[in-house]
Amino acid sequence: MNNIKEKILYVMATVFEMEIINIQDDAAPGLVEAWDSLRHMTLIVSLEEEFGIRFTDDEMTDLLNLELIHKIVSSKLSTCNI
Amino acid sequence: MKLTEIIKKNRELGAQLNVDIYEIAIISNITITLLKEVLELNLREKGICAKVTVGNYDSIIQDSLRFSKFKAVLVFWEASNFIEGFQNKCYSMTSVEIDDLAERVEGEIELMLNNLKHTPLVLVNRFNSTIFCTDALKEGPLTILCRRLNLRLEQKVAPNQIIVDLEKVLLKVGHFAAVDLRQFQLSKALYSIEFFKTYAEAVLPAFMGATGRAKKILVLDCDNTLWGGILGEDGYDGIELSDFTNKGHAFYQVQTILKGLRKDGVLLALCSKNNQAEVEHVLNDHPNMILKNNDFVAKKVNWKDKATNLRELASELNISLDSFVFVDDSSFEVGLIKKELPQIMCIQVPQNLSEYPSVVRHIRQEFFNLFKTSEDDLKTEMYKQERMRKEHSNQFNSIDEYLTSLELKIKITWQPHIPIPRAAQLTQKTNQFNLTTKRYTEADIQRMLSDTSYSVATFSVEDNYGDYGVTGMAIIQLHKELPGTCVIDSFLMSCRIIGRNIEYFFFNELVRILSGIGIEKIIGLYKETAKNTQVSQFYDDLGFNLTSVIDGCKNYEISINDYKPKIIKYIGYVREVSDE
Repeated sequence: MNNIKEKILYVMATVFEMEIINIQDDAAPGLVEAWDSLRHMTLIVSLEEEFGIRFTDDEMTDLLNLELIHKIVSSKLSTCNI
Repeated sequence: MKLTEIIKKNRELGAQLNVDIYEIAIISNITITLLKEVLELNLREKGICAKVTVGNYDSIIQDSLRFSKFKAVLVFWEASNFIEGFQNKCYSMTSVEIDDLAERVEGEIELMLNNLKHTPLVLVNRFNSTIFCTDALKEGPLTILCRRLNLRLEQKVAPNQIIVDLEKVLLKVGHFAAVDLRQFQLSKALYSIEFFKTYAEAVLPAFMGATGRAKKILVLDCDNTLWGGILGEDGYDGIELSDFTNKGHAFYQVQTILKGLRKDGVLLALCSKNNQAEVEHVLNDHPNMILKNNDFVAKKVNWKDKATNLRELASELNISLDSFVFVDDSSFEVGLIKKELPQIMCIQVPQNLSEYPSVVRHIRQEFFNLFKTSEDDLKTEMYKQERMRKEHSNQFNSIDEYLTSLELKIKITWQPHIPIPRAAQLTQKTNQFNLTTKRYTEADIQRMLSDTSYSVATFSVEDNYGDYGVTGMAIIQLHKELPGTCVIDSFLMSCRIIGRNIEYFFFNELVRILSGIGIEKIIGLYKETAKNTQVSQFYDDLGFNLTSVIDGCKNYEISINDYKPKIIKYIGYVREVSDE
């Protein structure tokens, strides 16, 4: 579980050009300066490549903050394993 | 490579960017953000200090004007987004409506190309409908429209404007993998990251060509590279080379491809461990050889190690090693060159010979040449003459004695009679003897010719061994504020004619002409690059005074009265038309 979150933080830090320690648990587009709609696209593609997953249309609209990203990625990975 | 790795690596390389930034703009009517990092990294890894700016969404005409001063502009113009939802709407539109739209876009195409006519490199994607029209049996209106627009595009592009066949990229990625429609509706992002990775690779040769990084020479092994089998063991009659045998076919086809490359100005050379006489016998007499003896600019057929041979070739032909491509079947030889001369691109003959012709066909793009000129066809001949001159030079005691024996003749041409495409090509391709390394397009040169504050001169050289063609030039600009002062914006010579003191002869002539039109002071510039250190002392040698260094560019000055010409007795002068 922690591994997943670490990986997400790594991706976010890379895409938004910031240090991992500066990413708060409530990180979201309004709170992280670099998180605009264009970087959001880069974030999605990066997450998909990093975890080897593909988000559905519905999931795409739900990836609104760090917590939700963590939840959706985790659930996708667990269904993959079954 | 994953996108996160691309971003990280790109940022590392971005931090090392020097002052000489190569500015690229992507202008488009769709969202294209992902291409920025991918393209930047591709170019930076090749030593081009690229910085990509993405234009505003759906703002092609305005942006084509805004970015026209950039080094390169890339145009992503998607037919499906001409109007909102056009890929579906087009089926229910009347032919008059579609016609109106087509006329509008045709006008915009001309406007955009005109705005970008002075930009050194412009890449425009061919309009295509592949993503939305998958019907193999019936063409839709989108396909028909694209064809019409492409026709206009082809008619109107200038030599600096290259049409990118997007279809080829889509085919390579696969049309489903190339798109990501999840963001198309809301964000107008159409293409997947896979597409952008392949696209960046596909356009790379154009940037290499435009920045003087294209390859120049292809050096080939003989046994199992030009023909099948080993000449020393299988003999003249035993080597495999024929369009009608299974093994010989691959080599026969490869030679056919190489012949075509040679015709387009690629230099071919041999580097083979063999007995010279046996190889000569094959080159001269073998009935199935497509490549003839005179197709090769140089031959290193001996038992020396290949790294030494390649170094010798580079110095004999005056071509830098990073312009070399080396082909060999032996993993030992390829491994040796990769280790000893990592700047050389190496290609190993594939195990499956059926793949060999495609591998060689693929090399063509490494030699991508933005401007093709009549000099290209003659290149092999010119470089061969150069080698003969070098051999000849060994017989003389002093270099002056040798140069005198060559009976050099120079012909200087002043505007408006200069060969414009060749002049542009010289600025694009000359790296070593180039004081400022400013790259100009044909349109730039054209503009200078119609601007009275510019003077442009080119020269051609010939000697006993042949004609070098147009091989040097200078661009002189009258100083905007200081009357009686001029600036030498560019002064360059092809490496083919270095070492003959032609530069001094040419410079004397420039000074003579400038003095005749009332110039009192000349400002010379030297901007250092990775390749032009050999001319770093040029203005010092001519007695100029260094006055300042601005942005890494050394500014020199001299009063015409103080100029002491170096007397070069052994060059003859053929006077040409001038208009000053």
